[in-house]
Amino acid sequence: MRFNFSFVLLVVLSICGPALALGPPMDMADAFKLSIDRTGTAATFRWQVAEGYYLYRESLQATTDDGTKLDLRTPAGEMKDDPGFGNTEVYFGQAAATLADAPQTMKLTFQGCQDGGICYPFRTVAIDGLRIEAEAPFGIRPQDPPAFQSFALIAPSAEPEKVEQSAPAPAPVPAPLAEPGMVEGFLARGGTVLLLASFMGLGVLLAFTPCVFPMYPILAATLGRQGASLSPGRSFLLSSTYVVALAAAFSLFGILAAWLGQSFQIALQSPPAILITAAVFIILAIASFGMVEVQLPAGLRDRLARSQRSLGGSFGSTAILGFSSALLIGPCVTAPLAGALLYIAKTGNLLLGAAALFALGIGKGIPLILIGTSGAALLPRAGAWMAQIRWLFGFIFLATAIWYIDRLIPPPVTLALSAALLVSIGVFFGAFDTLPQQAGIGRRLMKSASLLSMLYGVFLAFGAASGSTSMLQPLQFSGGPVASRSLPGLTKASFATVSSNGELKAAVAEAGKPSLVYFTADWCVSCRVIERSVLSDPQVAESLKDTNLVSVDLSDMTPDKQQLMKDSNVIGPPTMLFFDRKGAELPSIRMVGEISARSLIDTAAQTQQALAKPAIDNTAGARQ
Amino acid sequence: MTLTRRQLVAMAGFAAIAPPSLVFARTDPTSQEMVLHDPEAPVLGNPKGDVTVVEYFDYQCPYCKSSYGMVRDVVEQDGKVRLVLKDWPVFGGASVIAAQAVLASAKLGKYEKTLDAMFHTPNKLQQTDVEKALKKAGLTFDGVGKAVIEHQAWISGLLDRNWMQAAAFKFVGTPSFVVGTTSFAGVLDRKGLKEAIAKARG
Repeated sequence: MRFNFSFVLLVVLSICGPALALGPPMDMADAFKLSIDRTGTAATFRWQVAEGYYLYRESLQATTDDGTKLDLRTPAGEMKDDPGFGNTEVYFGQAAATLADAPQTMKLTFQGCQDGGICYPFRTVAIDGLRIEAEAPFGIRPQDPPAFQSFALIAPSAEPEKVEQSAPAPAPVPAPLAEPGMVEGFLARGGTVLLLASFMGLGVLLAFTPCVFPMYPILAATLGRQGASLSPGRSFLLSSTYVVALAAAFSLFGILAAWLGQSFQIALQSPPAILITAAVFIILAIASFGMVEVQLPAGLRDRLARSQRSLGGSFGSTAILGFSSALLIGPCVTAPLAGALLYIAKTGNLLLGAAALFALGIGKGIPLILIGTSGAALLPRAGAWMAQIRWLFGFIFLATAIWYIDRLIPPPVTLALSAALLVSIGVFFGAFDTLPQQAGIGRRLMKSASLLSMLYGVFLAFGAASGSTSMLQPLQFSGGPVASRSLPGLTKASFATVSSNGELKAAVAEAGKPSLVYFTADWCVSCRVIERSVLSDPQVAESLKDTNLVSVDLSDMTPDKQQLMKDSNVIGPPTMLFFDRKGAELPSIRMVGEISARSLIDTAAQTQQALAKPAIDNTAGARQ
Repeated sequence: MTLTRRQLVAMAGFAAIAPPSLVFARTDPTSQEMVLHDPEAPVLGNPKGDVTVVEYFDYQCPYCKSSYGMVRDVVEQDGKVRLVLKDWPVFGGASVIAAQAVLASAKLGKYEKTLDAMFHTPNKLQQTDVEKALKKAGLTFDGVGKAVIEHQAWISGLLDRNWMQAAAFKFVGTPSFVVGTTSFAGVLDRKGLKEAIAKARG
């Protein structure tokens, strides 16, 4: 038996005297009832905040078990003003926070007060799956207080923040939140190995998106040029070389972009980069056609001949091709790409970020290697067909070059170039050759295809001459007979465009309804896919009918837009951000990269749901 | 409801015939002696006063700040109250640093001035706020930093005892008061504090 005559036993807690202006403070666990639910990799924490109590937004923090900070997303709160002591952002009623990539076990910290009465210590709970275990109820025991000089380092209350003194503070600007802490999430769960394996897996999934499609003919062309020397083993090695070079370039661009502080995608869309890439493909095309008939200055001819010789089979040229191909898929923003780039930007960890990008590139290339190795057997080895195969690949390279410089030149010029290409294809493959009487089906079909290519080329030429801009409807030029049809779906024109931070803030804050902000660009292949098959879906239009649609068109880059991207942590198009009525971003549901109609409808529904919660929108005025 | 004097005396008597626990009580950081008369803790008001008001507080707690002026005023007007302000930095790192700075300033002879300046900072403390408060008291951040390091053991000892006392009282947060032998969770208004003092005088 042990006696404890501590003074505390003698002191009586006065809980009902007139001394207390408010009711006695509840236990913290009752004042802030915490629950967790998980869907997929995401976890949402909800606090039921007792009436007359509030939670500090800034106090909400999540870390891994070893203390690495996780990217916990919180909605904007209410500004609480203590006269003379400044504003703080708090939640009354309900609060929610989300983690896009939540590890199995983690720690969650929060803090709040009884309004006008008492402030509770920071409380840390340990999370394991769906289980919540309370830790020491009295905060950190300051046996070892932090070193005095480390003021700037201590978290979280010492992080510098702009203090707004003006009364009813406007909803905060889209807070500079990081992309779903994808890299951190994988690292937390399984270290570097899981991170790299996951990025490779994500790469494989992304290999079947339109952005990667041009890689297939390019690789086929590379292999096709090998002729008789192409064995399965060799085509495996060549495909692998191509893919490794592609992945290396991909991670190199990532490092460069991080180093230069430039947006990766924007850098790849700069005119010099486009011209260089197009030039590489034109040189490849020339090499494919053979230089025999073309007279060029001696120096250039020698160089081309050399490159042609080396292209005859060297791994070096395949590597160059892989490297240039990275320029083609680089501009396609995908969630893992954005995650890796933001990770590099945030942590400065170039090596790990680059390794993740490399793994992503390899993943995108795995199907290429498989198809390259198994499909090579189908390619002709020798004979009369060989020349035509080489021509075909030459044309594919030229088409790639045209597709690439399309973003720099006026659309009618693209049409004119395409017309020239299609007519040439027709001529090269026998549109005007006379078929001998005994010609077989193959020859006849070839001639039909050539003539069709001719015909399409001629239409495009007409279109170009009349100022048309559409490859698919070249004769639907302005002034022509335009069939007007009203689409039930959305188009790019359904979005109000903004081009600076100020305009965006105004657009999302003044709408009086939730907003969707869509970053797009003409050169963005995934955006075209979204506009053609996602936005046009009537169900998507229906789900977004109460949403204020805003877009940022990044086709023409300006410093303002660059700043806007930087401030909203947008790596490139396509990216969709969601904002509540008051203009605060709902960061947990941003969408990056190509999306499906289903996922957009689901997200729109999620937005509405999130907005229905008073924790996010508790201003009666904004509800009208 | 409070314990009667008789009960207190009875308990004290029991303590007296139980030497081991008496020794324990003396060194126990949660003893009456350490709560009300911690010899290491700076004292405000009248050091020889007959009633001790202890407040567990945090420099970032809005209600500690808004009631600070009133508490000082009541103690001043009474004239016979010892006031012991005990740092319980529930708001985390920045509060710990503010507490360290103010305690170190006591060793530099500027306790009251620094404390007063620190209570008049914004709710959310930045390094610049602490620097400004120290400057108001005629100190520099670096100078105080040196004093903090020099008196680290004393400061940590105080903070640790405060924490243990708050935990033992099962206080849920700041501010919390002990006036005589009664504790109060949450902010007190002027009337409440005066009544608590009167009650402690019996």
